[in-house]
Amino acid sequence: MGITQILFWFLTALVLGSALMVIFSKNPVHSVLWLIVTFFCISGHYILLNAQFLAIVNVIVYAGAIMVLFLFVVMLMNLNAETEPQKNKWLKFAGAIAGSCLLLVLVAALKDTDAMRQEVLMKTGDIGLIHNLGMVLFRDYLLPFEISSVLFLSAMVGTVVIGKKGD
Amino acid sequence: MNELQFKALLPYSLLATASIIVILLIAFRRNHFMIQVVGFLLMCGVIFALVQVRPLLPVAIPPLFQIDGFALLFTGLIIGSVAIVGLFSYIYFEAREENPKEYYILLFLSTLGSAILAISNHFVSFFLGLEILSVSLYGLIAYLRNRNHAVEAGMKYLVLAALTSAFLLFGMALVYMDTGTMSFPEIAQKLSAGGGSSVLFVMGMGFIVVAVGFKLALVPFHLWAADVYQGAPVPVTAFIATVSKIGVFAILLRFSLDVNLQNFPLAIDIFAIIAIASMIIGNLLALRQANLKRLLAYSSIAHLGYLLVAFLPGNMAGVEAAVFYLLAYSITLLSAFGIITMLSTRKKDADDVEIYRGLFWKKPLMALVLTIALLSLAGIPLTAGFIAKFYVLGAGIQSQLVLPVIVLVVTSVIGLYYYLRVISVMFAAPVPAEAWEKTVSPLFYNSTYIALVILALALVALGVFPGLVVEDIRTLLTVR
Repeated sequence: MGITQILFWFLTALVLGSALMVIFSKNPVHSVLWLIVTFFCISGHYILLNAQFLAIVNVIVYAGAIMVLFLFVVMLMNLNAETEPQKNKWLKFAGAIAGSCLLLVLVAALKDTDAMRQEVLMKTGDIGLIHNLGMVLFRDYLLPFEISSVLFLSAMVGTVVIGKKGD
Repeated sequence: MNELQFKALLPYSLLATASIIVILLIAFRRNHFMIQVVGFLLMCGVIFALVQVRPLLPVAIPPLFQIDGFALLFTGLIIGSVAIVGLFSYIYFEAREENPKEYYILLFLSTLGSAILAISNHFVSFFLGLEILSVSLYGLIAYLRNRNHAVEAGMKYLVLAALTSAFLLFGMALVYMDTGTMSFPEIAQKLSAGGGSSVLFVMGMGFIVVAVGFKLALVPFHLWAADVYQGAPVPVTAFIATVSKIGVFAILLRFSLDVNLQNFPLAIDIFAIIAIASMIIGNLLALRQANLKRLLAYSSIAHLGYLLVAFLPGNMAGVEAAVFYLLAYSITLLSAFGIITMLSTRKKDADDVEIYRGLFWKKPLMALVLTIALLSLAGIPLTAGFIAKFYVLGAGIQSQLVLPVIVLVVTSVIGLYYYLRVISVMFAAPVPAEAWEKTVSPLFYNSTYIALVILALALVALGVFPGLVVEDIRTLLTVR
């Protein structure tokens, strides 16, 4: 068993454990912290698959930006164990049904795909390397890339204009 | 990307640079006058670049863009309208002293979105262009946050536009699922090889029609129009009514030409129904409006319905009629909104029809310009609006579209009523109203005045000598 495999099993155990902790911890702030651990472990998996760019983006966007958003919402709603609203029995029931429907769809969709029968190739393939991605992005898809950046620029300017203090 | 493609993209790159230049100008000197002048010169530069690019055409930039005569015409219309909207903006925002500098960034960005729509022949660039256009419009509509209806209008537009964007994406996904491609020519190939009747494809097209219908304010999707027109600042209203609709109509036209939409009776029936409903409902709702901005909103719904009649045949005569119609329609609406801008005071927009009572006896030239604009909207002979409607009718009759043509004629007669009502108010005896507020900037006041008179003269000139532009439109459209 090489170092890669040890790392893989370690990360897998950690990601499953922390994902379960997200659901089972009573305190919402703890949930959010466990979610951060989950995201970091998934990023570790991406690195094992030679997808550096995806790993970094995952850390920046999910573990960074989205987590801050989550924390803000938790803070603003002032959730803690005592004020947690009693959940309706029907709500739990509906949640269980919706969740199992999703599971069913995912299993049905992934059951027959080719990827399931192949062994995962660790540390091979260079499509996810930042160098190659940059080459593709700035050579073949330059125009769509620039246009999307203009889209973000317009969103930023609009937000600043609407959000700034009146003068 | 080779040198030729780079050159052909020059007007669009310049347009994108314009907003960056405005950002940098704001960073160094927050001077409204300078930004306005630089912005106007940049727009003139873009038009100059368009003229320079013309001999190189057509240039394809696979997979996203196709720059041809059609694209050039629509881009020219868009840039021309935006130059005039920019001119109106100065006196409007200067009077309000509400920090109008960032406005120009958003204005140029949304213009870029509209121009991208005019050249794209791929779903990806379609979606990106449409999103740039609408994301900047959210900011523009709600720009004067302290006014009563501005935030409400912006919010309405945001929610509905986001919803229709979801429709658009889902429609594109369904079409992709059926044809396996997102580029218009390839979709056309797949269709001519015998597709296009599958449920997926028809549903996808239906979803796309919802999104396009929303942007063009066609009838089942028109509910936002009146509120947004009323709540937005007047130059932004003019922008929505012209630039945003020209861009979306351009891509609708290009798509339908590429895939030969007239070969699909179902699609043609749907568009015919939408056109008829827009003409009837737009004109009927406008009848009782006492607010000029709302009146123009309903009238523009009706006008887009007329425009769809030119779109239905799907031949060159229809496209020519549509381009000429859009030209006449933009000039007309810009001059009408220009008058509203000039009469708007610091506290409120001049959107109540009663403000115009006796305008002719106080400001005869302004009243004349507005009269010409309204007559052109109504389609009275000797104005561009008449010739435009005439071309549309000609294109419709050629293709035996009996019902839409009849509805067009009947609803035009109904529409005459509310345009004439405003005109009769302007020529009525004046009420002794309070004195007009002093203008902030005589230079821009006068240049706007001159621009409006030129627009009105252009309306009459196009109405008397339509040959001035029709030949040019025809030759440009053959560059494909």
